[in-house]
Amino acid sequence: MLTKVKTATLNGVEGYPVTVETDLHSGMPGLNIVGLADATIREACQRVKPAIMNCGYIFPRERVTVNLVPAGRPKEGSHFDLPIALGIMMLGREVAAMDDTAFLGEVSLDGTINPVRGVLPLAICLRQAGIRNLVLPQANAEEAAVLEDLNVLPVRSLMEAADYVAGTVNIEPYIRKKSARRSEYEIDYSQVIGQEAVKRAVTIGAAGNHGILMMGGPGCGKTMIAKRLVTILPELSYEEKLEITGIYSVAGLLPSGHPIIDERPFRSPHHTVTTAGLIGGGIRPKPGEISLAHRGVLFLDELGEFDSRVIDSLRQPVEEGIVHISRNVEDVIFPAQVMLIIAANPCKCGNLWDDRKACTCTRQQIESHRRKLMGPFADRVDMHVKVSQVENNKLMEEASGNGAMSSAEMRAVVSAARNIQRQRYAGTGYLDNGTLDDGGIKQFCALDIKGRRIMEAAYDKLGLSMRGYKKILKIARTIADIDGAPDIREEHVAEALMYRMDLGNE
Amino acid sequence: MNQQYITPDMAAYPDSLRDIQNRPTKLYYIGDLSLLSKRCVSVVGSRTANAYGKSTAEAIGRQLGSKGVTVVSGMARGIDTCVHKGALQAGGATVAVLGCGLDVCYPPENQKLMDEIASKGLLLSEYPEGTKAERYHFPVRNRIISGLSELTVVVQARNRSGALITAELAAEQGREVMAVPGNIDSQYNLGNNKLISEGVNPLISVADVLGVLGLNKPDPQEAKRRLSETEYQIFGILEERGEMSVDEVCMALGKTPAYVNPILAVMEMKGFIFSAMGKIFLANV
Repeated sequence: MLTKVKTATLNGVEGYPVTVETDLHSGMPGLNIVGLADATIREACQRVKPAIMNCGYIFPRERVTVNLVPAGRPKEGSHFDLPIALGIMMLGREVAAMDDTAFLGEVSLDGTINPVRGVLPLAICLRQAGIRNLVLPQANAEEAAVLEDLNVLPVRSLMEAADYVAGTVNIEPYIRKKSARRSEYEIDYSQVIGQEAVKRAVTIGAAGNHGILMMGGPGCGKTMIAKRLVTILPELSYEEKLEITGIYSVAGLLPSGHPIIDERPFRSPHHTVTTAGLIGGGIRPKPGEISLAHRGVLFLDELGEFDSRVIDSLRQPVEEGIVHISRNVEDVIFPAQVMLIIAANPCKCGNLWDDRKACTCTRQQIESHRRKLMGPFADRVDMHVKVSQVENNKLMEEASGNGAMSSAEMRAVVSAARNIQRQRYAGTGYLDNGTLDDGGIKQFCALDIKGRRIMEAAYDKLGLSMRGYKKILKIARTIADIDGAPDIREEHVAEALMYRMDLGNE
Repeated sequence: MNQQYITPDMAAYPDSLRDIQNRPTKLYYIGDLSLLSKRCVSVVGSRTANAYGKSTAEAIGRQLGSKGVTVVSGMARGIDTCVHKGALQAGGATVAVLGCGLDVCYPPENQKLMDEIASKGLLLSEYPEGTKAERYHFPVRNRIISGLSELTVVVQARNRSGALITAELAAEQGREVMAVPGNIDSQYNLGNNKLISEGVNPLISVADVLGVLGLNKPDPQEAKRRLSETEYQIFGILEERGEMSVDEVCMALGKTPAYVNPILAVMEMKGFIFSAMGKIFLANV
């Protein structure tokens, strides 16, 4: 007499369906779990047996074998407790067919069902596999209920779940509380005064998804500018929200009251971060900061302070938009499409550009700082922007009248330019100007005659590298898109040249 | 071509020579005398020079000539000849002060150069027609070369070169002196290096000579010619303030960064400005 219960497991931030098969046969009483279960699942034996007995059920006095199908793929997570317990309790009983119902949940010794992480991606994969009803811990209901075409059935105890399976109790599907939160930011670019040139650069960066490296002394507003970047990115679509919430769910970082991520994330890891912390990893791979910033903004403050090896590990994920972690059992892939914004001081002490303060760095320190800023990682960042101090009188002048550009104005520019890109790249595999490869640049970054002339002149006079040349083309493409121009013209190239990497004169 | 002459009691007599010791009482000339009222720099050196000295001399001549500075030298073999040639190549004006009569060409192989200077520049001498070049004329003539110039550059001079006399006279006359440093294992550079060791300022690049004269900023006339109206406006504001951030330029013009940025990039490529430390500066030429 065999039972089958449906559940799912995680690989990275994606789930895949798993069937828990349970059977009895004669032998020494005991519980065996097979099918590449990790330590948490194997410990389920110790939790499930007392939980079943504490609920007043009898644990079989024969040999119980639990098989997790597909047996060849690794499985992890304490949410296997509930399906395993139910599989055992259903042995020898008549129950209705449960082909479109799945179960998730961790079981306490007293039979209480505890919340688990990764519910949303698990629910998404189960829905795709044809599951209509999902039984899960009460505390995870709000998260899964984001999926509107899935019956979310919250349970508090093992008893309740068993009654539901036996058909003696009906559980009301959970209806999501209407979110009271409106997607509106408290911060706004209109609060950044006297840095219109940098705000223009940030608008271009956001419009084409170009990484930005800001260089400037301490206190000139780099962090303030970076933090407001999310306020000018387009609103998230439903699918994007699901995707991001899934990542946070896996990382166990969903806020408990409102377990949905509906704003673009802004992540600002401290410069002491490790490689695993930044790109993800660990024995059971968890998403790193770059994946937590997926579809949002990853801000690296004080680039010079980060460990060079940690920074270099970002290179491939930033270029490919995914993190690939190789494990001997199975590879894990985390999404990592971020808009990168980086702040750096001109030197270690930060005062190199400031006439009023003395720079205390030695020549060697300045050189090594510069090497870091011009290193292979920073070289892959499209836009380099110099941020200068705002003079005091200018602050007053601006504050007293003509308004600084606001996030709403900037977002309108960004959205329009992104729409143009979406139409142009439909069906090509490219997403935006920032992620164009060499082939894409050749195909989509056509210059008019004057544009070509100024590009050639720039190549000679400004000492551009080949990589620098391509970056200018991509940025110019975005500026042309902001202008609504089909071809890249002279002035677009000229403005793009302002954002090239150049420390020659400093 | 007919030679004429000037004397100290004539208005055309250059002011720079009026106050020097032992000023020439009669100065014969062929060519454009007005060149002496422009800024004058003399570039001198030995008759025997190596390739480094000759190419440097020519480059300095070109650099000065292209900036409209009158280049003064002695039309002797070697360095002097190269200096004149450089200035003429750049379309500039050059003055040769000779140690013989203006109808005598010394050295004779410079006849072509002499004709060119006569037509495009100015030949000067205190010796009447027919006077042959004598050894003792040259050191005496050197006081005129240094006297005409606010700066004397010694390019390459051997140990007892006449160029060193010019440098000494220039110093006595209260004029600026600079020397081009050279390899210390070459006998050709002994004199100029010795000047440096004695405290004369070394010329560390050809462009350096413009810095000393304060000519390393872009010329407003040239700027007006090569820049568009808005670009020239920005040039003017920068000339006044020295350094500005992009935002300050925007505010001064009342325009957005999207409008100003491309203009600045073009100006940078035209070589009129450069950006550093987050700010925009007028370029050194």
